[in-house]
Amino acid sequence: MNAPDSDLQALIEDSAQRIFSENINRAMLEQFEQGELSASLSRLCGEAGFALTPVPERSGGVGGTWRDAWPVLYAAGQWNAPLPIAETMIANSLLSFAGIALPADDAPITIIEADARLQQEGEGAAVRLSGTAMQVPWARHCGHAVVVSRAEQASDPICHPVSVALVDLRQGKGVTITQMNNAANEPRDQLTFDSARCLRAQTAVGLGLARPVLQLGALARAMMISGALQQVLQMTVQYANERIQFGKPIGRNQAIQQQLALLAGEVGAAQMAARVATESWSAVAAAINAGQTVSAETTTQVAFDIAVAKVRAGQAAGAATSIVHQTHGAIGFTYEHMLHFSSRRLWSWRDDFGSASWWAQRLGRAAIAAGKEGFWPALTARSMNPL
Amino acid sequence: MQAFPIAPCTLDAACESLRLEVREFIAQTLPNYPASERARSWTHGSAEFSLKLGARGWIGMTWPKAFGGHERSSLERYVVLEELLAAGAPVAHHWIADRQSGPLLMRFARPELAKRIVPAIARGELSFCIGMSEPDSGSDLAATRSKATLASNGWVLSGRKVWTSGAHRSQYMIGLFRSDSNPANKHAGLSQFLIDMKTPGITVRPIRNLVGEHDFNEVTFDDVELPHDCLIGEAGDGWKQVTAELAYERSGPERYLSSTQLVLEMLNAAGGTGSNERQEVELGRIVADYACLRQMSLGLAGMLARGENPAIAAALSKDQGALLEQRIPEVAYALFGDVERTRWPQLAQVMDYTKQASVSFSLRGGTREILRGMIARGLDLR
Repeated sequence: MNAPDSDLQALIEDSAQRIFSENINRAMLEQFEQGELSASLSRLCGEAGFALTPVPERSGGVGGTWRDAWPVLYAAGQWNAPLPIAETMIANSLLSFAGIALPADDAPITIIEADARLQQEGEGAAVRLSGTAMQVPWARHCGHAVVVSRAEQASDPICHPVSVALVDLRQGKGVTITQMNNAANEPRDQLTFDSARCLRAQTAVGLGLARPVLQLGALARAMMISGALQQVLQMTVQYANERIQFGKPIGRNQAIQQQLALLAGEVGAAQMAARVATESWSAVAAAINAGQTVSAETTTQVAFDIAVAKVRAGQAAGAATSIVHQTHGAIGFTYEHMLHFSSRRLWSWRDDFGSASWWAQRLGRAAIAAGKEGFWPALTARSMNPL
Repeated sequence: MQAFPIAPCTLDAACESLRLEVREFIAQTLPNYPASERARSWTHGSAEFSLKLGARGWIGMTWPKAFGGHERSSLERYVVLEELLAAGAPVAHHWIADRQSGPLLMRFARPELAKRIVPAIARGELSFCIGMSEPDSGSDLAATRSKATLASNGWVLSGRKVWTSGAHRSQYMIGLFRSDSNPANKHAGLSQFLIDMKTPGITVRPIRNLVGEHDFNEVTFDDVELPHDCLIGEAGDGWKQVTAELAYERSGPERYLSSTQLVLEMLNAAGGTGSNERQEVELGRIVADYACLRQMSLGLAGMLARGENPAIAAALSKDQGALLEQRIPEVAYALFGDVERTRWPQLAQVMDYTKQASVSFSLRGGTREILRGMIARGLDLR
């Protein structure tokens, strides 16, 4: 991290680094892979209010910004935090934006963007959900899900009205969870809703996000990838300095040095893109929380910055993992070594909430539409809309 | 530890309105400027264009008024540079003088000398070249053998410089010479000199590059006599002064924008042919890299403006920039290598030129291997 921008951010960074680095160890990560969440870590994170960082105090949050959330999600990525902190943070924010009270229990909350396979019926307290949702992160461990769908009257490209609904995942017969995992053994469950009752549903206007779950999910993953990249860089530099072959540390070899320098470049570029996107969304979210209207121009800039961050982070995740494993040699291929807890997450997170190719294609389309004359002006104005 | 962080930097409204002025200026000054010329980016120059830029106050923008500068902010300067580069404007005539020679002279040269030369740079009248590389001293700059000998009425230079860009059109060279033939270590005993290229004993011979252009030169010095005040800074401080310039030399927008005209031609062709998914993905990746490198370069400009010396972050940014600049022609051939060249003549021309020129992008301003060596040291390897 750079020098923190505020006292609050410094406190949050200190607390996130301390809680994650002191409590997450091999045993906890191995137990997690067997399907067991750490109750003690959940309690510590709950007490610290990590998932409430960017939520206004009036909604029961910490009252920080998304910039303040950076050290939380960066540290979560750095230390492989085996909890749905990002998902719960996004869910809490969306509920607050929509004016829906946060659930009283402290169970995690997952997030779902409804596509054509998931239908919402009825209005207000009588809203019901039917259909399926795929790859829902951490659903089996969550008490609730926040489901975001395009509102019926969604035609206004500026205000992006969306419907935000809160669903109790433990209501019994209306909700079926089929457990599935990603390559890091993190839950990515399939959910089937059969006329499942929603606790609240509200139409939210002026979120500044055309597809809130996808966009905030992509931003959160870019932040977590930034932290995980930092961790694998640091582990690999340390290993290269300690591992002796042919009578000297392998890091003395130019072949290794050149690769680790390239790794540092990939890490630096991904972190830059993620930080810029964080700053960009943080300013907009603060304005929305203050009751201000967000312009179409700003909305597009946020969409552009998040797309750039996800593409760049995704590319770096692939390039970095191949360099760090090559440098670690056989020991890095063992289950016993800690490296794979990071690299398997990097491989998984880059595909969450839109892969690098998915976002790149949309940026490419926007650039082609801008054309030869329009490309540079659109790049400096960040006015290429990927969505 | 976040390795070599670069602080994000945003541009204010003044910068954005300056940007529109620059665009207007370029549109008026370079109407119908051909893509094949734009593609040559910052390696082609026009004395006339530099004079016009100087008259607008866009050379030496951040320098003190006492030196003919305009006391604008580094970020305003950054905006002017990126706009000129994106448009492929012919900036080579003043580029090196504006980027490093002017600042070097103001910082280290005798004040009377700096006050005489620097204002002419800001007016766009002067072109500078940099005499560093030699036949046996490329990346290993400290192996410099060209000699500067102290005489009663000044210095006498002898030796040979190679790969000297623009020496044939430059009025001055900033040259690195060995002033002590028996130094304590190889970084000691080097000195920088301001050399009037009209001085007797200097011979400039062209070295054509593989594209067929004359940019490089070989410059020989046969007992070239210089007055005392042409020594820049103190004798023996050359290495320190040269390394202080590097972050400026490596972090600018010219380190990622060199293949821009080819990106524009690709967008044009993709739009004209009805783009497919593969084109969209590849071009989108380039867009993401552009946005990211622009933020890195801009962030470094902000850090330099605050007096920081982010030398390693600059090396890292240049390495990433050159990777992008060299990937662009490869993407172009993969996507458009088989287009009908008669239908897309401009694309074909810019593609062929950029591919050929691009091999130099990871050589100039510090080779990829030297940069990565610096980054590795910064990571505490070795």
